[in-house]
Amino acid sequence: MKQERIDSGRRQLLRQSLTVLGAAAGAAIARKLGAAEPPASAPSTSCSTCPTTQALTPDHSLVSAPSNGKVSLPLAAADPSGRSGVPGRRWIMVIDLSKCDGCGHCTAACSKMHFVPPTRQWIKVLRLRESERTSPYFFPQPCYHCDNPPCTKVCPVDATFKRTDGVVLIDNDRCIGCRFCIAACPYGARSFNWGKPNDPPEAKQAAYSAERGYPRKIGTVEKCDFCPDMAVQGKLPACAAQCPMGVIYYGDQNEDTVTNGLGKTVRLTALLRDNAAYRHLEELGTEPRVYYLPPKNRIFPGPDESGDSHGA
Amino acid sequence: MAPEAAYTQPAASPDPRALLKTLGPMGAGGRCAVAALAAVLAWGGVAYVHQLRYGLAVTAMNDYFSWGVYIINFVFFIGISMAGTLISAGLRLMGASWRHPITRLAEAITLFALLVAGPLVIIDMGRPDRFFHVLVYGRLQSPILWDVFSLTTYMAGSVLYLYLPLIPDLALLRDTQEPMAPWRHRAYAILAVGWRGTPSQYAALHRAITVMAIAIMPVAISIHTVTSWIFGMTLRPGWHSTIIGPDFVIGALYSGVAAVITAIALFRRCLHLGQFITTDHIRKLGILLLVMGLAYVYFVVNEYLGAGYTNQGLERQWLHGVFAGQFSIQFWTMILTGLIIPILLLALPGRHVMGRIVVASVLVNVGMWLKRYIIIVPTLGSPYMPLPPGAGRLLMYVPTWVEWSITAGAFAAFCLMYILFAKFVPIVSMWELAEAAHPQALADSPDSRGDRPSHPSPTQLSTPSVMTLLLIAAFAWLALDWPRSTRGEAPSPTPATQPSRQISVDLTTTHEEGKLVLQAAVRVDGKPATGAEVEFFARRTFGDLPLGTDTTLDDGTCQVPFPTDLPGNAAGELDCWARVKSPANLAGATAAAHLSGARAFVPRPNPFPRALWAPRAPVGLLVTIGGLLAAAWGSYGYALIQIVRIRKAAA
Repeated sequence: MKQERIDSGRRQLLRQSLTVLGAAAGAAIARKLGAAEPPASAPSTSCSTCPTTQALTPDHSLVSAPSNGKVSLPLAAADPSGRSGVPGRRWIMVIDLSKCDGCGHCTAACSKMHFVPPTRQWIKVLRLRESERTSPYFFPQPCYHCDNPPCTKVCPVDATFKRTDGVVLIDNDRCIGCRFCIAACPYGARSFNWGKPNDPPEAKQAAYSAERGYPRKIGTVEKCDFCPDMAVQGKLPACAAQCPMGVIYYGDQNEDTVTNGLGKTVRLTALLRDNAAYRHLEELGTEPRVYYLPPKNRIFPGPDESGDSHGA
Repeated sequence: MAPEAAYTQPAASPDPRALLKTLGPMGAGGRCAVAALAAVLAWGGVAYVHQLRYGLAVTAMNDYFSWGVYIINFVFFIGISMAGTLISAGLRLMGASWRHPITRLAEAITLFALLVAGPLVIIDMGRPDRFFHVLVYGRLQSPILWDVFSLTTYMAGSVLYLYLPLIPDLALLRDTQEPMAPWRHRAYAILAVGWRGTPSQYAALHRAITVMAIAIMPVAISIHTVTSWIFGMTLRPGWHSTIIGPDFVIGALYSGVAAVITAIALFRRCLHLGQFITTDHIRKLGILLLVMGLAYVYFVVNEYLGAGYTNQGLERQWLHGVFAGQFSIQFWTMILTGLIIPILLLALPGRHVMGRIVVASVLVNVGMWLKRYIIIVPTLGSPYMPLPPGAGRLLMYVPTWVEWSITAGAFAAFCLMYILFAKFVPIVSMWELAEAAHPQALADSPDSRGDRPSHPSPTQLSTPSVMTLLLIAAFAWLALDWPRSTRGEAPSPTPATQPSRQISVDLTTTHEEGKLVLQAAVRVDGKPATGAEVEFFARRTFGDLPLGTDTTLDDGTCQVPFPTDLPGNAAGELDCWARVKSPANLAGATAAAHLSGARAFVPRPNPFPRALWAPRAPVGLLVTIGGLLAAAWGSYGYALIQIVRIRKAAA
């Protein structure tokens, strides 16, 4: 219990500190928070003569850091390895298919936040259609962070792991690139860094943590990380925050509440119960942490119904 | 009829010492072949260096076809490694007397196929530099770990099983008067472990060989099964099937026998071994190949019929790709070259039996490579989720020059190792030939001579049954070991908003008609405000959960039901707040309170169960793998003790 109180105090500090995060002070605070990082990646704060560079935090506020060192961005997890999870939390997502118009803002916002290369998507907007006579609909698909994750079962080195807060992450420093998890994931949520990663300088500057996919490393796997580092600041993941339709709800299952990007906060149990919510491919037994509300009474035309072809 | 002449029956008992001539210098053709193979291997090395430099991006693999030719080759070489076990151990235990001239050829295939298969996995890895992570961070729940254990156990066993029957021949080479390089002589002397051919040495040797012949069988079955489980343990159409384990084992037997026949035909021709390896051997192996081929047809029918008949969901997509779609050319070529043509060649009566058997075995090798392709690639081409728009031609897999070069290098490495081995020791077991021809002359051991193995002790015989029992126990455990969900801790409270100065709102809980309600009392300058509309919220991490709206009565209070089922903190406390919505002069006034009455949410400390997805492996799995490894390595230990005895008997 004492440990938990300390952790919640730390989160409090983190939340408060981020509100006052100025461009110059930010780096120092961020570095202090990430003080448990390996010494090589935590540059000295007193170096005033060092050339500095600008780096982006996950929520795209600027911090400056010595250009020769790594910027330690704030982490959600109590330990810098990112393996332990945020105590007392179980992050969960609900996607309301009836409101999705396939605009792709979620993908764009996610890719911007995580520096995902254009050939890859952490959250995809697919077009699904059950059969010929049923109507097609848009289907945003992130990693489902399954509670019985097939990817994590097969990992030979514990490089992909499930945390106590429900998040399934990948440790790029440990991944051996066998790609068994890619074969095992029925949802195709994982991508592989086949060649040398082409990260922008801001991403290269960041100190690596399993909670963030960058800086990318060749020959390793990456995927949607469910943004726990944003969540502990009380901020929604980029995909949820940037969805103009409020399609994506995100929250803490332990609070029984989810919130969407339009600021609508609802009871999770009621939302799932009253809307015939389901999980995709439930029969596979993977127990996804992402629920869908069926695409009924849609207010936007589906993929093939409107003249606009939504970037196809 | 001219080619048939080479396959004539030899004289009754050929002189095994004629085999020593095969160790002499190679002819021009042989040297050219070795040089060509070395060049191909070097080119494969160049391709691998290229791949190391630029990553797996130089291959045609992508996020959909995440495995390709490397894994196909891996499964293919694992498959032909079955040869040594079946031909050698199987025939030895069955007491088939005709096996002697071909056992060593077969055992060598096993070892060299494994020596190629192992590195192929590392070549397929995105981070070969981190291979040691498998040893440092290994998770027993991963079938890759099972494969690592099985492969190393099988490799060690096949080294031992190749080496044991070599000992008398190594002693013979040590004692021969033929001129040879000093290093060669030294190597023979060391490896012969002081073999003098005494009865006690023969007894120890036969004991060791028998135990190894028994032990290597379940190990061999395990490697093919576990390799199939890498695919079978996923939720993919075509992989996730109960037939996949036996399918791999029978497919391995089929391709293994074909590989042995191919190798035998080549060595027989090149090293002029016609007097030892007779037409009768090839004929018998041909029958074995035919039986395995028919068995494999049965498995292939089983593999596709159920899926094709029910024609369900993704399997329909997968089967369409295999039968009529993108992969149909490879599939029907496999059916023709791997099954129909070889079986017809082997089964139909007629002339050129030897030639037909050899052609059939070469075709089976090609067909079984294609079968591995058909096992691996079409499944990856049948994802559950459709491709995102604009993904392009991601569902195409055409291997690049790098992949083909490394494949060619792997085959060249296999052939090179085989040729060098055949130049180091006679590829046909001399002492076993002699022992078979003159049982009394060499083998004086009372309990072990000739074709029949000695009777192993009951404990050794029970090794396979112990392994079977352990496997069953593991399955039972895994079936029961479903993961349990974890729960967490209560959310942290958030500071409340300050109430307005002139307008006061008090937020409390009270009981109304036996039910807990959330009550707001609105006062303006101390007087109750009537008709004010108040919204109630509960604070949550990402926003405020609306609890309802009510209008104040004459006493300035309004109420909404308290969300008693909403999880609060460990004490059931909830951060609530209320805001006056209207009338306009009161709007915006807020009050917050930390109120109890919600569902107490007591977090459980991080209780990761022992589960397949969790960091810690289920106990049943640990026990099973430990038991299986102990059984196999225990048998190896017994064989090693026999080698020590041979050594001691020499002194």
